[in-house]
Amino acid sequence: MSEENISTGRDSLWSKSRRKLMRDRAGVAAMIVVGAYGLIAILVYLGLIGENWSTLGEEGFGGMSSEHWFGTNINGQDIFSRAIQGIKTAFEVGLVVAVTATAIGGILGAIAGYFHRTIVDEVIMWLYGCIDAIPFYLFVAAVAFSLKGTDLQPWGMHIAMIATFWSSTCRIVRGEVIKIRGLEYIQAAKAVGVGPLTIVRRHVMPNTTHILLVQSTIAFVGAIKSEVILTFLGLGVVDGVSWGTMLSESTSDVLRGHFGNFLGASGFLFVLVISFNMFADALQDALDPKKVSS
Amino acid sequence: MMLFRTINLVTCLASVLLLTTCKRPFSDRAQDLSVFRFSENGAPVTMDPVQSATQYANLMTTSIYDQLYEYKYLARPYELKPRLAEAMPEVSEDGLTYTYRIKKGILYADNECFPAGKGREVTANDFIYSMRRLFDPKARSQGAWLWQGKIKGLDEWKEEGADYSKPIEGLRALDDYTIQIILNKPFPQLTYTFAMGFSSVTPREAVEHYGKEFGLNPVGSGPYKLKSFSTKKAILVRNENYREEIFSLEEEGYDPKTQSGFGLERLEGKKLPIMDTTEVYFMEESMTRWNSLNKGTEIHFGGIPTELTHMVAEELNPLVLKAKYAEKFTAMNLPDLGTVYLYLNMSDPKIGHHSDPEQNRRNLLLRKAISAAYDWPQRSRRFYNGTAALFPGTIPPGLDGYDEAFTPEMTEPDYEKAKAYLKEGGWNADNLPVLDYNGTASVQNKQMYEQFRGWMEKIGYPRKKIPYVPFATFGDFNKAVKQRNCTLIGMAWGLDYPDAENVLQLFYGPNGSPGSNSSNFNDPTYNEMFEKSVVMQPGPERTEIYKKLNQIIIDDVPAVCGISRNTPFIWHKNVVFLPSRNPHGSLFKYALVFDESDDQ
Repeated sequence: MSEENISTGRDSLWSKSRRKLMRDRAGVAAMIVVGAYGLIAILVYLGLIGENWSTLGEEGFGGMSSEHWFGTNINGQDIFSRAIQGIKTAFEVGLVVAVTATAIGGILGAIAGYFHRTIVDEVIMWLYGCIDAIPFYLFVAAVAFSLKGTDLQPWGMHIAMIATFWSSTCRIVRGEVIKIRGLEYIQAAKAVGVGPLTIVRRHVMPNTTHILLVQSTIAFVGAIKSEVILTFLGLGVVDGVSWGTMLSESTSDVLRGHFGNFLGASGFLFVLVISFNMFADALQDALDPKKVSS
Repeated sequence: MMLFRTINLVTCLASVLLLTTCKRPFSDRAQDLSVFRFSENGAPVTMDPVQSATQYANLMTTSIYDQLYEYKYLARPYELKPRLAEAMPEVSEDGLTYTYRIKKGILYADNECFPAGKGREVTANDFIYSMRRLFDPKARSQGAWLWQGKIKGLDEWKEEGADYSKPIEGLRALDDYTIQIILNKPFPQLTYTFAMGFSSVTPREAVEHYGKEFGLNPVGSGPYKLKSFSTKKAILVRNENYREEIFSLEEEGYDPKTQSGFGLERLEGKKLPIMDTTEVYFMEESMTRWNSLNKGTEIHFGGIPTELTHMVAEELNPLVLKAKYAEKFTAMNLPDLGTVYLYLNMSDPKIGHHSDPEQNRRNLLLRKAISAAYDWPQRSRRFYNGTAALFPGTIPPGLDGYDEAFTPEMTEPDYEKAKAYLKEGGWNADNLPVLDYNGTASVQNKQMYEQFRGWMEKIGYPRKKIPYVPFATFGDFNKAVKQRNCTLIGMAWGLDYPDAENVLQLFYGPNGSPGSNSSNFNDPTYNEMFEKSVVMQPGPERTEIYKKLNQIIIDDVPAVCGISRNTPFIWHKNVVFLPSRNPHGSLFKYALVFDESDDQ
């Protein structure tokens, strides 16, 4: 597909990317939705909205009303408030996992790529090969079990996700760095005696930022989906509200003819995942150097 | 072309042949009226009597083995009647010596463990052997606690190496049909314990013949013998050596006022067991059980899933089915002889006993506040279809010691009173302790936790100070309770026998964890009164003590109690079967499946 040449000659790659992203209407719409979710998460985090999520109502399984937009659950608790609490939980998990897993994957990928075909590269490749070979949900269960009775127990799900999500970032960054390490400016830096770790930090990693940005969005949405599934299975969020908790409650609710929990949790999750996927696609397109400079 | 036609024909024929030779599906056996198909929501892992600690194992052992006594099928309140015993025991005046005589000519089912495969006669020595096995460490018994410290010389026999050749002073066979038991101190509930699956009479030959496989190869003298067993299904067939036993409505305690609608009159004069075969289906998923039951041609008996009660029932209390279902099924709410509690761990100084009298007083006020805010009627409405029996204290209605002055309204919450208790104890949002709420990880437990936390929020308890700390399995949870690591403990207790002693012992100090006293309540006055009551025969004096013990539980709040659950059960119209759980064991021998067309 031919694209308009938007280069002015003075623009940086970043400004070109930003302009390309802003021209992608679907991407911008998705970004606005994700932003709205982010804003709700912040407001919930600050305690400004959704604070009545645990308040018991007089009667359980109330219908939709102006007071309870999605009705109430078995305990008469407001499902809408619980759904927006679910946004806070999802963003907490998503951010922690995305930032940490991408950082670990980026650093290890850059090191493995730079030290390509050395023992360092072999060890890192062996490590992510092992991690990838373990079924994800079994791994989470094992981590949760091993952390039982320790202070880290509430973080079992986060630790398991971070321990697995870094590997895809590592693999992609490694490939990119293998390409970069052969370029002239890296050779020049080596020639003037710059140390390998400094080269990695100052000259290699900045050139993988676009990959890290895209990978972090993928990890973010992957973490949210996993959190919901794990909580549904009883392996995730223990205290507090998650869309997974709501979905697991809904399995018996729907048999009683009450769909509030199901629609609330799955609706919020569906819109967020679709929007984030579209945003990630748009970001990937915008940051792809080949497409931007074409 | 011809070749393709031939291949198609052969394929079709092969498919038809394959389908017709496969085992016939469940539904094709709908007209088999010689089989009663029962369902349970869990499966036993063993049928060894000394390990029959679960209701599933107890159901199987009491179907296959004989116990000395059993409860009358229809009498309420529950009444014992002799099973293997010839009559009720002879008890010495001091209440220490019991003499049991067993029926003559009772045979074990035929089995390869006996010479020539023919079941031999049951003797008093089999009972003695079975009781010894309960205390034999090699048998990994789970039922010895019932008789621990009670029978003269039995505990010492265990400590001295459980040598079966050594006599035990308090446990003797006077002859082939007479058993004598001498107690260390009076134990009026002794005969009740001989109606439990743990006390099943077991032949030594079978234990030695099958060794480790004995749990899956039960050999008894009960109405049924095991034909096959898997984790999904057990098939029980008539024990052809079973004695002549004829059903009598009068002897079973039939009450026409309350039991006339169940067709029990059909059973009069029938030889037991009535059905040649009983199939027990172990179906954990309530919806699977419901679908099988509702199909009409599969299982005969099951429960109504809580999620579907609104769809199936017109009214829940009393249970009235909608016309569509009333045509097909008979139903009843089965009262549970037991209670549901929230234990408060009294060994935790944050909330329980405290060496500082002032802190002890404040902790008591905190427990009283929790109890006052606990909304049992709402718990019943939301989780038990609003059918649970509500009562203060630990003794359920119908048992000796239950105070008739108690009313269900006494379990209503009083938030103002709860707040007043907190104020009196100097408690506020800042100094209230963090209380872990423990239980097994499940959706319903979490919903119950959230309900509890909501009540506490109403009296000003900060949400964050009541965290949810679940355990993956009941085993893990129970282990933590036994190690005193839990604070707020949601549990239930089913009575082993219909005597309030069985619930009052849950708060007796020396029974503290790892014993049955999960709240670790240890009050000298309570302990002293309980010790006095346990050796007393039933009577007004003991009733008064039971009432006082119950009042101590209400006043000191080692547990917030209570309710008894009612479970809705349903069965096909052409089945006569009045369900019951504890203290009853298996009732399969009374089940009847009949052809409805005979009535027309």
